[in-house]
Parts: sequence; C-alpha cells; structure tokens
Amino acid sequence: MITRQLGSEVRWMLRRPRTLIGLFGLVLVPIVISFGIWTADGDGGGPGIAAILRGNGMVVPIFTLFLSLNLLLPLVASIWAADGLAGEAQHGTLRGLLVAPVSRVRLLFVKLFGLTAMSLFAVTLMAVVGIIAGTAFLGNDGMMTLSGTTLTTAEGLLRIAFFVVLVTFQMVAVGAVALAVSATTEHPLVVQAATMTSIIVFQVLGQFSSLDWLHPFLITTGFPGLVDVMRDPIPFDQISDSTLLAGCYLLIGTGLAAIRLVTKDS
Amino acid sequence: MNKRKVTLAAAAAGVLTGATGLSLLAMPAGAGQPPSLPPVAPETLVEQVLTSEPGAFGGTIEVDNKLGLPAIAEIPQLADGKHSGRVWTDGNGKMRLALPNGQSEQTIVDDGTTTWVWNSADNEVTKSERRADKPDAEPDAKAADPATAAKEIVGLTKEFSDISVDGTARVANRAAYELVLTPKASEKTLVREVRIAVDAELKMPLRVAVLTNGTAEPAGTVGFTEINVGPQDAKLFEFTPPANAEVTTPEAKEREGREKRPEAGVEQALRGEDPQVFGTGWDTVLGARIPTEAMTQVPAEAQGLVDRFTKEVSGSWGSGKLFTTKVATVLIADDGRVVAGAVPEQVLFDTIGQVK
Repeated sequence: MITRQLGSEVRWMLRRPRTLIGLFGLVLVPIVISFGIWTADGDGGGPGIAAILRGNGMVVPIFTLFLSLNLLLPLVASIWAADGLAGEAQHGTLRGLLVAPVSRVRLLFVKLFGLTAMSLFAVTLMAVVGIIAGTAFLGNDGMMTLSGTTLTTAEGLLRIAFFVVLVTFQMVAVGAVALAVSATTEHPLVVQAATMTSIIVFQVLGQFSSLDWLHPFLITTGFPGLVDVMRDPIPFDQISDSTLLAGCYLLIGTGLAAIRLVTKDS
Repeated sequence: MNKRKVTLAAAAAGVLTGATGLSLLAMPAGAGQPPSLPPVAPETLVEQVLTSEPGAFGGTIEVDNKLGLPAIAEIPQLADGKHSGRVWTDGNGKMRLALPNGQSEQTIVDDGTTTWVWNSADNEVTKSERRADKPDAEPDAKAADPATAAKEIVGLTKEFSDISVDGTARVANRAAYELVLTPKASEKTLVREVRIAVDAELKMPLRVAVLTNGTAEPAGTVGFTEINVGPQDAKLFEFTPPANAEVTTPEAKEREGREKRPEAGVEQALRGEDPQVFGTGWDTVLGARIPTEAMTQVPAEAQGLVDRFTKEVSGSWGSGKLFTTKVATVLIADDGRVVAGAVPEQVLFDTIGQVK
C-alpha cells in the first residue's frame, strides 16, 4: 500500500512538464561549466574550487553542485514542495486526499518522500552529467583535491557520492520548510517566492559581520562549509555542523507542516 | 480525536527539538568543568615542558588573534579574527600543515628532506630542499605549532618571569595544567602574562594565551581544539605535486615578488644574518638597519598602506614611523634603522640610538 503510494507520487512528479524542464536545466549547468573552463584562456587561478578545475574533470560535479546549492537547488526543491501541497490544493485534488481514509501524517510523509527521491535523483543526475562532461572537456587524471593531493578515480567517485548525499540532505531540509509553507496556501507561487526570498535574504544577512550572532541560525551559513569534502584528509567538523543545521530545519519544517495539515479543515 | 492530539504533540515536539538544536548549534562550545589533577610544582612543570618529546600527533589548531595586525595578502591567517588549521607530525621532523583560507587551501608538507608549499588558489607548488647549512628551511611552519612555540617562549623567558601554576583546564578534551609566566616587575614589557596549558600526561603545551596590560581578554590565543596523539598515517608526510601544477622554488618567487612587499624589508632586516639584540628577557629589543635602496624601493601604494598603519613620531633620536600592536611595537626610523620588541614605545626611543 505505502510503496504504491510512494511510487505513484514520484511518477506524478516526473510526469509534470515543469519537472522535466527543471531537470533539463539542471543538467545544463555542469556542461556549461565544463565547456566554459575548457574554452577559457589563462592558467586557471581564482578562489576556492574554481582554481583547481583545469585538467581536473572529476571536480566538475562537486563544483557544479556547490554552486547550484546557493540558488538553483533550493529553487527546484521549492517548486516540488509547492506542487506537493499548494499545487494539489489549487487543483482541488488535495481535498480528496484529506477526506480519504488515509492518515494525513502519512500523506505528509509521502510528499516528503517524493521530495527526497526527486532531490536525490536530480543531484545524482547533475553529478553523473558533471563527471561525463568534466572528463570529456577537462580530462580525468584522478581527482586533485584542494590540499594538492591526487585521489584515484575510485576514491574520487566515493567523494562525489558522499557530496551528493550531503547536498541532497540540504535540499530536502529547504524543501521541508517549503512544504510547511505549502500546507498553508493554495498558491504554489507563494511557496516558491517565500522560499527563495528567505534563501536570498539569509545569504544577504550572512554578509553582515555585525549580525554574526544570527549566522549560526541560518541554513545558508552551512553551505560553504561543505567544500571541505574537497580537502584531504576530510575535516568533518564543518560538514557535520552543516548537516546538523539542515537536520534542525528538516525537523522544524516537517513538524510545522504536520501541525498545519492535521488541523486543516478538509 | 485522541490520535489527532498525539500527532499534534509529536509534531510540536519535532518543531521544538529542531529549534533547540538550532540554539545549541549556535552556542559556543563550553570549556567544561576543569579537571582535578594532582598539584605540581611550577619549576617541575617548566622542566617537564622543556624536556618533553611530544612525539607523533595530529590535530586542529585555532588561532584567535586580536593583535590589531593589518591583513597581509600572503599570510591571511595572521589577520585579526579566528583562523584554524590542521597539523600532523610524526615526531621526527616530518610534518604537514593544512591552512584553509576561505574555500582555498594552503598545504605545507615537510617530508624530512624537502619542504613543499602548495597553494590551491594559484595552483602552485613551492619546493625548497632542506640544505645542510640551513637545517630549518621553514621556521614559520614550525612556529605555527603551539607545542613548539610554547616551548620556545618558556625556554627564553623562564628566568625573567615569576612562574606559577594557576589551576587546571580542559583543552582539546585533554586535562591540562595552566602554567602562568608573569614578567618580573623590572621587565618593561607590554605583556602582562602568558598562560600555557600543559597536557597533564604528555607535558606538551596545548594552548598559549598572551595577555597584555589593560585588557582582560587575551590579545592572542593559539591552541589545539582537537588532538589525537599517536602514530599518524605515513602518507600524510609525502607530497607529490599535482600533474598540472606549476612548481617553483622560493628563490624564483622572491625574484618576482620581492619589491611588492613593503614589510619584506623590515622582516628581512630583523631576521637577517645577525640582528642586533639589546637587553634581555621580556624587554629584549631587536635592532637592524634596512639598506637605503630597500627603503626607496617601496612603491607608492604600498607606502600608503604603511602610512595607514603607522604613526609619525620624532625625538632626540631622529624621526620615523611607529607601528603598534597590543603585544609588540616596531619603530622604523627614516634613515633605515629598525627596532622592535614586546615593549612600550619609550623603550624603543631609548634603544634606537644604539643601532649601528
């Protein structure tokens, strides 16, 4: 019963044209980045991972996901969260689900599962395309880390897989909060606008050093620390802090969404 | 109906847990209860620190710097604020340092014969062979390790200080004694006291804090936030330059970039073959003379930078620029004489006449 519900949820999501367009857009990112670095002149250089991209195709998926985590991936997560509850309410299909003899908590978990599955799928797709595009345009000589060591391709793939999991978790945390917003409205656009505005405002707030007491509460503060995956050996402090931070958002988002759904009139 | 209440309560508990988690994450890690350790005589502890052999360890070091130094592009880790790095050593002279700088990283590996400095921001490796006449090719790297730095401080200043043990502390999850070196009253220094947390078991310094006159907070703290003692992975002490990185030598780099750094002249003069040393103990003053051509080589914009951080001073000794931080003062006379020390400016004015 539950597996059928989960399966149909993901099928529904995949069938929406905007999902496909979104996925297509996401896949373009690593290709454009690889092509751009390949055609760019100069001997590389620059801040962070961008500096080690040249001749180092295995880093493209990490770089792509790291960049996309700031705006693109939260946007996609918010679209899926918006469609999940607000979209269904708009089409009148949510009413049917709410009066059905199915627990509303289960409904929420089906939505959350759909969000997680699609996030993992999208991030993995970006990573795989990144590996292919990076290898094709920039070459693959193992993976050079920020610490100047070179990992074997197998070790590199392991790092990419680890990063995919970390990024997906951040995306799901953003999506869970978006689901809570989604449960309160019938307008999917409101959900997207609210989520994206928050992410952007968080990032702006993160720039002001006079507000540094606030920074540990912002989910966006945790994003840059994930770059530690590219150091060798990996320091886990920042990665675990970021993941715990996202976990708190996931709990808050899911809890608020559940409260709203349970108290909602059908 | 009852089930609904249970669900609501569970959901509310989830929200609360998340919110509590957020505030817990935001709170700085507490120092925890100081451990209780058997008392130790200060003299014994100093002796043990000086003779301790830390052996192999790996750990994370945090530098909390409130010295008021200007940010220098080459060594961003020195600028005010908190910076952390990771260090590994095998206890026999091989070591590895990883210094993150934003999202980039500087890695310094000393494999016993060669020192490699890797900078991810410019994809460049600087390789310097350890030569017989210069056994310490990378003194900067060594000084970054709090254990070595503290040992040096203790060795140089113990006879000029009142030494005491002021309770215990927990540093990097290890029990430690707080060894306090207070400059004797006759020492004319900016430093009020230096507190060194000494590991109770290994007698290795885990944290050094420098306190200056007139402030309650340390002007600078260097210490481990995490340490694991024991043999480290041998692979950490090897370095192979990445395939597409540029490998240079420090000599080649110096030829390119020397004149861009205004502070290089001062640094070099004081570090040179034989800086002149005046006084002893905490109020030791180092003196040197910068060659006149190095003084005039400083480009205009670098001169502006120098002016921003210094103060024009003059006296019976002549005139020059005074650079002040909380723990040290540097006086650069216009004729190229330089004196520096952890002393108030008056001591420098009195000493500069003796510089040859």
